[in-house]
Amino acid sequence: MIILNTFLLLLATAFAAEEVNTYLIFKNVDRSIDLTSQLVKITSTITLENAGKDAIKNFLVVDEPKANGKVAYRGVKDSAKQDLNLLPVQVEGNDQKKYHKVILRQNLEPGRTATVVLEEILARALEPYPSSIAQKEKQLVRYFGNHYMYSPYTVAKQKTEVVLSLRSVENYTKLKPVTQSDNVITYGPYTDVKPYTEDQLIVHYENNAPFLTVTNLHRLIEVSHWGNIAIEEEIEIKHTGAKLKGPFSRYDYQRDTVNSQHSIKSYVTVLPATAHSIYYRDSNGNISTSAVKHRKDWIELELRPRFPLFGGWQSSYTLGYSVPSYQYLYRTAEGQNVLTMRFIDHVFDDMYVEDVTTSIVLPVGVSDVKLVTPYQVERLRDDVKYKYLDNMGRQVLRLRRKDLVEHHIQDFEITYSWQPQLLLHEPLMLSLALFIVFLAVIVWVRLDFSLGVPEHSKKE
Amino acid sequence: MVQAGSKKASISKINTKAGISSLIIFVVLLLAWIAGFSSRLFAVIRFESIIHEFDPWFNYRATAYMVKHGFYNFLNWFDERAWYPLGRIVGGTVYPGLMLTSGSIHYVLHLLHINVHIRDICVFLAPVFSGLTSISTYLLTKELWSAGAGLFAACFIAIVPGYISRSVAGSYDNEGIAIFALQFTYYLWIKSVKTGSVFWAVAASLSYFYMVSAWGGYVFIINLIPLHVFVLLLMGRYSNRLFTSYTTFYILGLIFSMQIPFVGFQPIRTSEHMAAGGVFALMFAVGVLKYLQSMLSKTEFKSLVVFGGLIAAGVVFLAVVLLTYAGYVAPWSGRFYSLWDTGYAKIHIPIIASVSEHQPTTWFSFFFDLHILVATFPAGLWYTIKNINDERVFVVLYALSAVYFAGVMVRLMLTLTPVVCILSGVAFSGLLELFLREDDNNRVEDSEEDEQSTPSKRLYDKAGKVPKMKHEQTRDTDSIGPNLRSIVTVVILLLLMLFAVHCTWVTSNAYSSPSIVLASYGSDGSRQILDDFREAYFWLSQNTADYARVMSWWDYGYQIAGMANRTTLVDNNTWNNSHIALVGKAMSSNESAAYEIMTALDVDYVLVIFGGVIGYSGDDINKFLWMVRIAEGEHPKDIRESDYFTEHGEFRVDAEGSPTLLNCLMYKLSYYRFGELKLDYRSPAGFDRTRNAVIGNKDFQLTYLEEAYTTEHWLVRVYRVKKPEEFNRPRIPVANRVVKSSKYISKKNTKRKKGVIKNRPQIVKGKRLSSQKLK
Repeated sequence: MIILNTFLLLLATAFAAEEVNTYLIFKNVDRSIDLTSQLVKITSTITLENAGKDAIKNFLVVDEPKANGKVAYRGVKDSAKQDLNLLPVQVEGNDQKKYHKVILRQNLEPGRTATVVLEEILARALEPYPSSIAQKEKQLVRYFGNHYMYSPYTVAKQKTEVVLSLRSVENYTKLKPVTQSDNVITYGPYTDVKPYTEDQLIVHYENNAPFLTVTNLHRLIEVSHWGNIAIEEEIEIKHTGAKLKGPFSRYDYQRDTVNSQHSIKSYVTVLPATAHSIYYRDSNGNISTSAVKHRKDWIELELRPRFPLFGGWQSSYTLGYSVPSYQYLYRTAEGQNVLTMRFIDHVFDDMYVEDVTTSIVLPVGVSDVKLVTPYQVERLRDDVKYKYLDNMGRQVLRLRRKDLVEHHIQDFEITYSWQPQLLLHEPLMLSLALFIVFLAVIVWVRLDFSLGVPEHSKKE
Repeated sequence: MVQAGSKKASISKINTKAGISSLIIFVVLLLAWIAGFSSRLFAVIRFESIIHEFDPWFNYRATAYMVKHGFYNFLNWFDERAWYPLGRIVGGTVYPGLMLTSGSIHYVLHLLHINVHIRDICVFLAPVFSGLTSISTYLLTKELWSAGAGLFAACFIAIVPGYISRSVAGSYDNEGIAIFALQFTYYLWIKSVKTGSVFWAVAASLSYFYMVSAWGGYVFIINLIPLHVFVLLLMGRYSNRLFTSYTTFYILGLIFSMQIPFVGFQPIRTSEHMAAGGVFALMFAVGVLKYLQSMLSKTEFKSLVVFGGLIAAGVVFLAVVLLTYAGYVAPWSGRFYSLWDTGYAKIHIPIIASVSEHQPTTWFSFFFDLHILVATFPAGLWYTIKNINDERVFVVLYALSAVYFAGVMVRLMLTLTPVVCILSGVAFSGLLELFLREDDNNRVEDSEEDEQSTPSKRLYDKAGKVPKMKHEQTRDTDSIGPNLRSIVTVVILLLLMLFAVHCTWVTSNAYSSPSIVLASYGSDGSRQILDDFREAYFWLSQNTADYARVMSWWDYGYQIAGMANRTTLVDNNTWNNSHIALVGKAMSSNESAAYEIMTALDVDYVLVIFGGVIGYSGDDINKFLWMVRIAEGEHPKDIRESDYFTEHGEFRVDAEGSPTLLNCLMYKLSYYRFGELKLDYRSPAGFDRTRNAVIGNKDFQLTYLEEAYTTEHWLVRVYRVKKPEEFNRPRIPVANRVVKSSKYISKKNTKRKKGVIKNRPQIVKGKRLSSQKLK
């Protein structure tokens, strides 16, 4: 995990244009392309070799220009499973391509090798083909990739495994040597591939995994020093697989549970173990079809949308819960308060979130607010919110980011100063108001305000 | 109420003092409020905080609109999502009192930063107002009889099912606040008649103004109060107090009521309001006569009264008749006629008769809604008649007219309930008065037992006295024996207890279902929620185009607009009968004839309610005959009710049903592919649980529509109307197509010129179409 400060620091140094070090070669690359879900997960185990004379501090990875979809996440680990820092950089002469510099923990001395694992997650990379299907048909998708690893370095030897969810493959490109066994297609080994070599890999196969995209997510975190943190997520989801063609027949849907596999009936959302007061509703009220299961370390929430989602259908809902604040809110020795919470949380497995806005409502009267985020986010203008009986507003931090996957479930940190006396502000105000009301009633009852002669005064 | 009684008992030992008496009144009213509020929460606890039924959905939508866009925009709101393609001017066709009330509550709460959602305010408005109703009932009864009777009445109205039926949490309807306004207006009116003070009369007219803004039932007030005045005049009870209060009330009330856009000039232009004006004129005539009486001799005066009276009456009558004839004053409306003749609506206005709450009331529902009060109410009436005075004349008239109206329409039970509570309060008060009297033998039994000097004292001699009485039984030396006393007391208490139990039971079982969420109970007591309505509406809101037009029977119009936010053709504001008849005609025609109507009305989706899978009886097939009748009223040539019956005059959906029925659109949309469905192993495929029959027409295809969505329990079925280029075309492989682009050109043409659509089907099946039309 990177902290923003170091991130910015490194960013500043990275603006100087980089050069591709031709002495670095990828000695061996084992790629695994996981196509079982709606996301494409490419894990490449790379053995780096320094064929030059100088120590190498970093190496570059590059976005494949022809790849479908977007890289939602990219992470590099070294052999000790430690995360390595990644920075976007420019490379001279190759301005169109997007490069990222990976900084090695230990310099790679001449003649030595090192192993790193590059993990990339691509969203929207699978294209439903045919793009619309009837209710009973299977969902087929196509994946467009590269037989070789797209890299600015020479790759001495490489092998690629494509993992599918089922055996049934319509078609795939056969660049020899290639083998298919069960649901795995193995390409390679290929040797001595030049930098930036492209050769299109196409796999057309059946994929009935839920193609569910969160098109919009508003996450609202309300912090109260009375001991509670309320979280509310407004979620818009859409089935982004093959569109439903023709009618939806409830009869067929009820009779054949096998054939409508590409529809989404329900999914599981994981909440923190201490979550309570969970609600699941939409603009028309409570959605009565959900079940909560308590696991040891988390809570599983089985959510069923009001209707099964077929390709192209969308839905929206609000999910809210509360967690006790002691797990997330600390007080430092200097008297600062620190809030550590997730920027986004789990919605469903293999999720892809297009757009997230997270708002954090801080208690009344905070100052010195400092924010540290795990990755780059856009900070929108602060807002002010008034809650129950507030006469001073509460500061609302608003953060936004696009294209997130499960790997982005990470904590941000907010530090602020706050006086505990402010807790008593509202109870005191309320007491005062009640006191005034009672006083007014006492005065009203005791005194006679009538203008006329006390003829119809009711007192006896 | 029982709680209230015990509370009284515990305190009653303390000596009676003014402070304690007001404390008791306060406590009893507070408890009545709390009891009334809580007993209305069954639906919220069992289901959720949600708007119920049909009309409340419109009120909620309008309120939400007002909160969002402001009051003036609300008054000018033209709702293009209703009555497509006509639209509806909402601001001018709605009683805004309800929206204003909850809107102002919302506004005040948000000023204090209590961020309550407007939906929750709407849900809880009626229960909160029930507390205000019981307070105003207390005040009214106190003016009419005594504070003790008032407390009884307040407790009764807090929990009586007849009122709860219209004011449970979530039932966000005009009646919820109107009964409060009604009772409060009556209270202020009685107060002003009693005091003759302009202040009270102005207060009454202000309260009347609120009532006018809240509910069309204000007509009841503006006829009952003049009636009261008129009867008082007949009884020779004219007084200056009466003159002051009525004239002030009438003039101000008239001006105020005309401020409501929906009412407008009706108070001076419709027959419903003429009585009030007539009495106003009469009041002056009587005033003048009274003045002249002091000037003239007796014989002169008599002849003046006879001639003057006759001439004046003739002139007024003629004026009204002429004005009506000339069109300045509208004649009685149809809805009004149906109050006098219960058969009128069924013949002339089927749309009114089709609503179940407009049916005549059965004896059963009198008991169901009022329980023991139905028996004690005549006793109270008798008490008041025995001890008649100016204001009691009012309650007698109120009781008699309300009983009549409640007999005509189930819905008007609501206006009867308050007066029943008042008079039952009087009856119970009178009974306990007799049987629980403190036996200071010196006290003289007055026949006028209730003048204002003693109400607070007598208050402590009510139900609360019971436990003490048991201890004191030995000391009783009254004419009524101690055994009789205790027996009667116990019986009364038992009755009251049964009443409370009955009220709770009825509220819980009959009036606390939101009707958009259904619940069924399994044999093991587990509850299953059938949420099909919201499922379908939410599907519509999420997965159809924003401008999509949904055709359904008018019952569901408000819900579709409220929950799915889609354009509807007809809705529960049944102002345009011919439009509804057109939808009814589409539903009762065969598919191709219906398609013509649907394309003419730009329908994109059709929504039907089908209960055959779960045995839901309120579905569209069961309402279907009303659609046919309403359609027949406007299109007697195309639709005949008799076609939908078998030769024996039965309405059946099985194989013996009439062929017209088995081929009409509603039948096909309800039963599409139902013939293949086997509900369980014992019953055959296509067994309709609601009508307990195997459907007659099982295997059919839809040509012009396709199933777009059907909910989990098949309760709501949504169909998409195909575009002209979509249906019934043999598929030509792309390679064989001669004309490739012409299809798109014609599509544009049909879209622009609507006339072309009608002829379009002829290309494919023109012969069949035209031959069917001739039939």
